[in-house]
Amino acid sequence: MQTNRLSPAMPLVGIVAGLALALCQYMIFVYAPVEQTMGIVQKIFYFHMPLAWWSLISFLTVFVASIAFLRTRNWKWDALSGAAAEVGVLFSGLALITGSIWGRHSWGVWWTWDPRLTTTLVMWFVYAGYLVLRTLDLPRERLGTVSAVVGIVAFLDVPLVFLSARLWRSIHPAVFASKGGGLEAEMKTTVIACIVAFGFLWVALTWLRAAQRRMAARIDVLATQTTI
Amino acid sequence: MLSAALAIASKDLRLLLSRGTGLVQALLLGLLLIFVFSLSQRVGEVMGPQGAAAIFWLASAFCQVLIFNTLFAIEEANGARFGLLLAPVPVQAVWLGKGIAGFTLLLCAQAVFLPAAIVFLGQTVSPLWHVGLATVLLADVGIVALGALLGALSQGQAARESLLSIVLFPLLVPVLLAGIRVGAAAFADDIPEGVESWLGLVAAFDALFLGAGIVLFPFVYGGEE
Repeated sequence: MQTNRLSPAMPLVGIVAGLALALCQYMIFVYAPVEQTMGIVQKIFYFHMPLAWWSLISFLTVFVASIAFLRTRNWKWDALSGAAAEVGVLFSGLALITGSIWGRHSWGVWWTWDPRLTTTLVMWFVYAGYLVLRTLDLPRERLGTVSAVVGIVAFLDVPLVFLSARLWRSIHPAVFASKGGGLEAEMKTTVIACIVAFGFLWVALTWLRAAQRRMAARIDVLATQTTI
Repeated sequence: MLSAALAIASKDLRLLLSRGTGLVQALLLGLLLIFVFSLSQRVGEVMGPQGAAAIFWLASAFCQVLIFNTLFAIEEANGARFGLLLAPVPVQAVWLGKGIAGFTLLLCAQAVFLPAAIVFLGQTVSPLWHVGLATVLLADVGIVALGALLGALSQGQAARESLLSIVLFPLLVPVLLAGIRVGAAAFADDIPEGVESWLGLVAAFDALFLGAGIVLFPFVYGGEE
């Protein structure tokens, strides 16, 4: 029997995420030094990198949860994959925007054929399409199955997208060699703190959305029973 | 399984080609795309080989969406899908059959798009044409493997075309990039990074999605309305 009550640990994770993010703000703007060449704009890096990392974790979660759903037919996996995809699209969208601002300041262009950027953009498209698919008016069983299949196929494509973008880039001038190399100790600590803080935020958001999805499904079932 | 797949493919091809409407719509859409894109050049101007190859593959991708929608729509009327599902063959035979039929139709369409791209977009054929042709064949295998898998998603669904294209197109990015780069080389004989790595990438794409199709198709092709 599935419980539909929210776990008491969930608000706790949310509170920890809020406190950790507040601490990160202090570390980003007070503790970490201002970068010499880029100035204050470099601070965007502390948001950009955790967002990009956790969006990749989201898409991995969609993949794993989709396989688990197809194997077990347990609806909690379906709720988890839907929630992780939503958070992943949000995070990768924000990573793209912050990356674009960084690129404009650092390399003078809003967009470049960097394999990481291109892979993030293509994944954003794929998972945005996946979310559209999840809103379709289909029977629940079929929608769950179809979404799980797309969730698996989408993640299988990621390494190939990355490889093809890297090959493609060899015909374009390389705008930069590597980013984030040679960070100072304070900067490195701040980046790690931000990754952990965004991790808490990711867990809180994904957990909440997954719980909401399970409740929405339960309400749907109750509503159908009442009409009958 | 192969004979069952061939039987399904030949049934589909006979049904579509005898009606004549299925491929005509896809062909017209692709040709229209090539023609409309040719308007981006000024009179007397010649489009770059990469642009021409990109337009060729765009036309192919749109054409493929229409092909698979038509192929899976055949069984939507009168519950014919249940007939296929009840047949004593593995359900993957349906995927393979639809894939073979889609591959044949896509090649037929590309046989029209290629000369159209050369004529409308002012391209020439370079000594690398055979590599370009091999890439088209190899890329088409991956495209139809994925198309036949995801084409079944839209069963019993309105607004199929738009849904299939937004899910399918981003997934096709690796194979489209390879097709465009090698296609440009086949038009202009210039590919500094070499074709081997691109061909390897397309072969990996084919292998991955042929495997995914075999494993995942039974989940998407079912008896639900």
